[in-house]
Amino acid sequence: MARGRLFLASCLLALIALGAGGNALATASQRPAADRLDLIEKRGLLIAGVKSDYPPFGMRDAEGRLIGFEADLAAELARRLGVRLQLVAVTSTNRLQKLEEGAIDVVVATLGDTAQRRQIATLVEPGYYASGATVVAPPNSHLSTWADLRGKKVCATQGAYFNRPMAQRFLLELQVFNGTRDTRLALRDGRCVAWLYDDTGILGILADAELANYETPLPSMMISPWAIALAASERGSRLEHAISDTVADWHRSGWLIASERHWAIKPSQFLVDMRELWTRQQPDGRPLCARDAGTKQWPAACRNKQLLSSADVDGIQRLGLMLKEQSGFDLSIIHDAYDRKLFLHGLWMTLQLMLACITGSLTVGCLGALAAEAGLPLLRGLVRFSAALGRMTPPLLLIYLVFFGIGHVVVSRFGWTFDGAAIAIVCLSVYTGCAIVAALLDAVAVLKGQQASFRLGWRTLAAALRLAYTPVVASLINVVKATGMASVIAVPELVSAATAIVAERGNAAVMMNVLMISYFLLVLAVVQFFNYLERRVLQHGRH
Amino acid sequence: MAGTEVLSMLWTWTPFLAGGFAWNILISLVAMLIGTVFGALLARLRLSGRGPLAHASLLLTELTRNIPTFVFLFYLAFLIPTEFAVAGQLYAFPVWLKASLALSVAVIGFVSDNLLVALRHRQSHNHAAALLFIPSWTTYLLIIIMASSTASVIGVGEIVSRCNVVIAAVGGDETMLWVYTYAIGYFLLFCLPLNAAMGYTRKRLLARIHAAAS
Repeated sequence: MARGRLFLASCLLALIALGAGGNALATASQRPAADRLDLIEKRGLLIAGVKSDYPPFGMRDAEGRLIGFEADLAAELARRLGVRLQLVAVTSTNRLQKLEEGAIDVVVATLGDTAQRRQIATLVEPGYYASGATVVAPPNSHLSTWADLRGKKVCATQGAYFNRPMAQRFLLELQVFNGTRDTRLALRDGRCVAWLYDDTGILGILADAELANYETPLPSMMISPWAIALAASERGSRLEHAISDTVADWHRSGWLIASERHWAIKPSQFLVDMRELWTRQQPDGRPLCARDAGTKQWPAACRNKQLLSSADVDGIQRLGLMLKEQSGFDLSIIHDAYDRKLFLHGLWMTLQLMLACITGSLTVGCLGALAAEAGLPLLRGLVRFSAALGRMTPPLLLIYLVFFGIGHVVVSRFGWTFDGAAIAIVCLSVYTGCAIVAALLDAVAVLKGQQASFRLGWRTLAAALRLAYTPVVASLINVVKATGMASVIAVPELVSAATAIVAERGNAAVMMNVLMISYFLLVLAVVQFFNYLERRVLQHGRH
Repeated sequence: MAGTEVLSMLWTWTPFLAGGFAWNILISLVAMLIGTVFGALLARLRLSGRGPLAHASLLLTELTRNIPTFVFLFYLAFLIPTEFAVAGQLYAFPVWLKASLALSVAVIGFVSDNLLVALRHRQSHNHAAALLFIPSWTTYLLIIIMASSTASVIGVGEIVSRCNVVIAAVGGDETMLWVYTYAIGYFLLFCLPLNAAMGYTRKRLLARIHAAAS
């Protein structure tokens, strides 16, 4: 056990070393608000910054007027405040600068909500839209999950915030091009299987006649909400409050979805999810997303989960977030209920797989050995040959063959479908069982040498197992270590859970260490169990 | 799909799939090389007697035995950066090498344990028994070759990932069945004869040991 502790300690050290790169979030200073809403009301005018170069969110019409999805939002905002509206064109580089100078009151300009921006401006929650990363692929690309792109050449356009994290999360081999035109040509010429791009910008690409029948087969990832921004000094002000309530109303009423349809934007899942969240009711009939009577804050469940801090929540979630803020470890399985459930479910599934594979392998091994020694010469040869074949077939290929190859034929002929976990258990048990057959038959040969009249039967099986204990246990420990292979056919075990969490959060260093430590401890527990059994068996043998 | 169609499809893709299998062999050999070097080092240190070094080597050997290769594959794939910058020069870290490294961990444990036994036999001038290490090592190579198919999950273009490429390119309902079976054929054809040869070698060596003992 001391060895196990030592390993654990070294793993924790590694964890600390890997996580040390992360920065703790500095808490922004809370200045008393000199309320800008008074000024806006006094002048009877709201000055809003919108984009002019991002159709259909912010653009100019034939007469040069600023129009678009976001211009409509600004107009609706002014209407609610009971003032007139003046639109000012801003760019990605100057939008927060103009806000800080006081040249504009609000920014509604495709501004993603990030921790860094929260330090220099007030970002109003909830967000009114969201963008994420997705891929454009040629027709019939056969892509159904992001994992299908693992190790594949994927084109990307320089400067996108998601290039690096997406490459890390999904192990993409990125070919980064300068500008959208070059990337488009590279995709067209087949230099990559897909193009990683912003899902709100993709409309423009698909409008191109050359790529008209291209598809976007994968769900958007790394979704970042777009927030209306105010000057940093407006945090907690009446203006922030009023805008926040307005955006919440937009979600509740479905006005944003209608507006999105008006501008012919591809329906975003974010707006659908937000509408569901903001209209959800608690068991007692009160709305889930209502401001806390004391703090005037929205409840944590209705806020941007990526940017919650430990001060916003309590309980175990607070502990996990404090760890993240202090040390940079994004141990999301502690502070995020969804990740925690996913991980625990994976752990439970892996335990079941391990137990089932041990039982299955022993069953296959014992039955095989008994059949070989049943006294029928033909059967003996057949079992020996099958065991040799089984041992020389890679278990991963066997799983693919049974799940996709045979499974597909069976489904199309008979309509039967098989559970992925059951197939993984059978395949791994057969592979390991074949090794156990060989070990048992070797033991039988030795026993026959000692006692010519020895015959393997149900009663003498224990003697053969005792003699073959070491190789049999080695095989069983190998199958326990191999249970992660079930993840290739989407069995939701520990490896699947860990890669899914990394895909969602990008905390590869932390999750991979958690996965290794969990697996190591599970294997260690199995090893200890067999050591204990060995002591019992050996003692039993002496009596 | 008719029989001849299947055969001609498999024939068309044979060079591509065979090239993939060559990667499996390469990944496995590199894993065996790395594993044997470090495993031999551990075995020597363990042989040297008591001391803290011998103890640490035993501990390391135990550690490698309990690390699941499949999980370690993901671990390395996610945590080793794709490229390194050394003195302003970018060096790529190929993904197949990550697979070899992951597989080599199991080899280290195997070599450390088995070579230790062999070295002890050699010390006691039991040369035939020491030579048993060779067939064991080769049999372990076969196990690693089979495990190398898991490199496909991190995107190495070995035979299993190439099977998936073929399946996507050809389409059709029964293609999967034939392509995967064909790929298994490669492993069987390569491993079965080698395994039988090693079984024979082991038998001969054991007979020699017996003869020397009696």
